[in-house]
Amino acid sequence: MICQNCNKNDATLHMKRIINGRAAEVHLCSDCARSLGYGEAFSGFGLGFGHLLGELLSSNENGSANSMRCPACGKSFEEIAEDGKMGCAECYAVFYDRLLPTLNKIHGKTSYMGTKPQTSGNSAAPSISLDELKNALSEAIERQDFELAASLRDQINELVREGGAL
Amino acid sequence: MCAKWYLGTGAQNDVVINTSIHLARNLKTCPFPARLNLPEKLKVNSIIKGAADSIQDYSFNYAEMKTLSQAEVVSLAERHLVSPEFASSRDGRALLLTEDESVSIMLNEEDHIRLQVMYAGFALDEAYRTASIIEKELSSKLDFAFDDRLGYLTQDPTALGTGMKASVVLHLPALVSTSQITKLITTVSKLGLSLRGSYGEGAAAKGDLFRLSNTITLGISERAAIENLKSIALQIAAQERSAREELFKAPVTEDRIYRAYGVLKYARLIDTSEFMDLISLVRLGAVKGIINMDCAQIEALMIHMQPATISLSVDRPLDRTERDKLRAKLVRQTL
Ligand SMILES: [Zn+2]
Ligand SMILES: [Zn+2]
Repeated sequence: MICQNCNKNDATLHMKRIINGRAAEVHLCSDCARSLGYGEAFSGFGLGFGHLLGELLSSNENGSANSMRCPACGKSFEEIAEDGKMGCAECYAVFYDRLLPTLNKIHGKTSYMGTKPQTSGNSAAPSISLDELKNALSEAIERQDFELAASLRDQINELVREGGAL
Repeated sequence: MCAKWYLGTGAQNDVVINTSIHLARNLKTCPFPARLNLPEKLKVNSIIKGAADSIQDYSFNYAEMKTLSQAEVVSLAERHLVSPEFASSRDGRALLLTEDESVSIMLNEEDHIRLQVMYAGFALDEAYRTASIIEKELSSKLDFAFDDRLGYLTQDPTALGTGMKASVVLHLPALVSTSQITKLITTVSKLGLSLRGSYGEGAAAKGDLFRLSNTITLGISERAAIENLKSIALQIAAQERSAREELFKAPVTEDRIYRAYGVLKYARLIDTSEFMDLISLVRLGAVKGIINMDCAQIEALMIHMQPATISLSVDRPLDRTERDKLRAKLVRQTL
């Protein structure tokens, strides 16, 4: 098998891993593995995800000496890359563009599909909304999980019949 | 004295021991815990405690971890009320806990808020409902860090999105003894879930107890993640049941169960690891109707016999032998 990164050398490192829900097979030659920061991080379970994240972040940051800091908490991108921890909520906004490639690598998908915080005043919304169910249904179909899709379709029909949320 | 959640019996309890939902949330205007000093952490604790106290249907006991002994904190971890990470450093951390221990909120762990709801048996929908009721109550008082594209923001970017981790603890003695578990762990990981020992890792999981959890938090709704977990859990439970049926065809299985019961009933010294091996067999026998014991009783025993928890049942520190002796005595009394 040929290395997926350089398409040149023989791949010596074969990894099956889940990148936030999506199974991905990675085949790399030893040179590419090292330069991409996949060192020992994948050989065992000893290292935490935070460490892996640090490696991914710093591999995106080759040579850029731009050390901007988050105005809210003072953390720099280099420091985040080092310990894999965001300093505060504002860090996400400040470093969003630089984080995005890494977030993509980790999560596979970067569109949020979960519940949203209620805006003050309007509570009493049903705990599972029709929209949520519809989203889940299209996800299930996309993943070809038809058993789940059937169960979601039943729940949607039920909700519609009850006239609960439209 | 209020009955603890684990004294109840739940659905699918021949295989499913308990269910939990975790939600991670952070205050919008405060740096994440790793960037807070001690006074700032204490302030975060008191803000969240204030919001939790205003919830009408749930009342929480509040404890600063600093005020508890090391054994008390480790015992909380053994009972899965706090994470081992939380127990490892006590400064500036606090716990909100309901009397029945079904709802706990860790303050200043990896995130400002780690809410956990734990129920006996297979109860993902119920646990999620409770967790979201409490989360909504909290969010009506607190402003959570949230982004339309990324969801709830967390200190560790791998946890952002729904910030939800749903788990079921499964008792899988037959899949372990027929060596199917390793393959299952690999298969499950391809489906966006993780399966790992609840006490101890991999095939060396003590008591054949495994925790099945979702690992996806972005690009999937809470509902879809729960439905996905539910369907895989039921498939594993079905696999375990048919492996048990095979196992019971060999007379040696029944023999091993009775021997395990015999040792537990008469031993004078027993350590945690041997206890967990034997109680796992006894549970298998109890579910089958061979041993006359209630599952809830067995679960309670598994929790109470962990090293720190057992030390707490007497008012002084115990050395290893004393602890093993006390464990054997308490087990005899229960059986
Ligand atoms: Zn290469
Ligand atoms: Zn910041």
